[in-house]
Amino acid sequence: MKHYDVVCPFCGCLCDDLEITVENNRIIGVDNGCTLGNAKFMGKERLSSPIRRNGDGWETISYEEAVGYTVDMLLEADRPLLYGWSGTHGEAQCTGVHMCELVGGIIDSTTSVCHGPSILAIQEVGHPGCTLGRVKNRADVVIYWGCNPLEAHPRHMSRYTTYADGYFLDNAFRERKVIVVDVRKTETARVADEFVRIKPGGDYAVLSALRAIVRGKGDMVPASVAGVSRSQLERMVAMCKDAKFGAVFFGLGLTMTKGKYKNIRNAIELVDELSRHTKFTITPMRGHWNVYGSNEVFTWMTGYPYAIDFCRGIAFYNPGETSAIDILARKECDACLIVGSDPGAHFPRGCAEHLADIPVVVIDPVPTMTTAFANVQIPVAVSGIDAEGTAYRMDGVPIRVKKVIEPTLPSDSEVLGDIFARMKEATGYD
Amino acid sequence: MFILNTGRTITQGRHVEHKFHQGYAEVASTCFIHPFDLMDLDMEEGEHVEVASAWGSVVLKTESCEDLPRGTIFVPLGPFANHIIPPRTHSTGMPDFKNIPVELTFTERERPTQWDLMEQLGGKRYETL
Repeated sequence: MKHYDVVCPFCGCLCDDLEITVENNRIIGVDNGCTLGNAKFMGKERLSSPIRRNGDGWETISYEEAVGYTVDMLLEADRPLLYGWSGTHGEAQCTGVHMCELVGGIIDSTTSVCHGPSILAIQEVGHPGCTLGRVKNRADVVIYWGCNPLEAHPRHMSRYTTYADGYFLDNAFRERKVIVVDVRKTETARVADEFVRIKPGGDYAVLSALRAIVRGKGDMVPASVAGVSRSQLERMVAMCKDAKFGAVFFGLGLTMTKGKYKNIRNAIELVDELSRHTKFTITPMRGHWNVYGSNEVFTWMTGYPYAIDFCRGIAFYNPGETSAIDILARKECDACLIVGSDPGAHFPRGCAEHLADIPVVVIDPVPTMTTAFANVQIPVAVSGIDAEGTAYRMDGVPIRVKKVIEPTLPSDSEVLGDIFARMKEATGYD
Repeated sequence: MFILNTGRTITQGRHVEHKFHQGYAEVASTCFIHPFDLMDLDMEEGEHVEVASAWGSVVLKTESCEDLPRGTIFVPLGPFANHIIPPRTHSTGMPDFKNIPVELTFTERERPTQWDLMEQLGGKRYETL
């Protein structure tokens, strides 16, 4: 049996044109997917039942026991951290916020280690964004800054920019100009019309120089800025000003390096300057599937997009203090529930090692590096493969994801719903 | 001194749902370096190097890459790179995953596995039951 228009559960592109062939409730083929999406659909290494660390080894336990352990862990903790949420659907994220409020804990998503700084910048100066459909149909200049879509979002260029047809472009491939700004010559840089190589940590200076040139103050710019010649910057500005519609996409090259959110603020203000001459927009390349959804769901429910602390009985938000990295580095939390993410692999060592000292429950379909720190891991159905739900694309468009095989395990929503129901029952919370 | 950058590669991404496999360890423990920098270190591609930051050190396998500027190295994101990434966030919530000063030294030591690293932090490897 073939399923059409299936939404991919891997990255923030949420490509919605996959064709999945299923035989005997097993996926045997994926068409239209990229190598990352295919690997996820075809993965066969899922856990089949909850596991518990038992001295020097592991033992399988029932869902009943695993849920009971999680309820006790969260209710007994003084400062629990509920982290992850990007690999799951919005309905499960919603339950997570309720649970966190009940226990007065901290809830944070992988935003902290991807585009958290972008959100901080957007809160300072706003977000001139648009949908990917608008970029596809209108953009004649596309800038990829500090991102490498050919490796991290492999179909971004074919679905929305370089290789995509555009309704308002006669010959999109020839009319669209692509500028790549990076510290290394990536695969994406190889297909660019203009590759701007900057020295590591030089983004803020280059953005400031571009803003000066757009404002007509190019004579103030030195001959070379962070390794980029003024003539190349002037050429880049000319391409942007000549555009009918320009789209900037930026990645972790801006958020993770020196300057953090100030880099993004400067990029947004460059887009603002350019929009005085033509139309420009800017979009973060959100990486982990539904990470954007975690920001949306948390914001509806608490007023804040990530790093939310309920210890005062109300939602409090102060990234740098209430964000997962800082909480773990300070060894502040005394229990951790991790859903749909892998801090064991993706957090600095100084944060991951605190997980070894506290009780940890992981809700994830497959063994990950965080499994090494788990007291209990509860496997679940994968959102978009054998579980349904809502996810947000990187441009903020919510998309309902379907299941293509019948689940043999409960979904994140079901497991978290069960945990929350038992927490309410134990505390009399209404 | 070199500057360490970390980030996604497509091979790392393909293994990201299968992190307990040897393939993931191979990818995530690769240190991409400019061939001239390898020559300066008197090393051949494929030899092992100890990469040390102010926060720790880890043994990686070198792979020559002309796309990098000289004086910089690139390691795919994952437990190997994170073994030497500082946990400080400058009050932003985001650690410095890029632009980290490191020293490189030739070593004949073997690379650790991903589970070795987790066990160094107090974790316990998971082996299929």
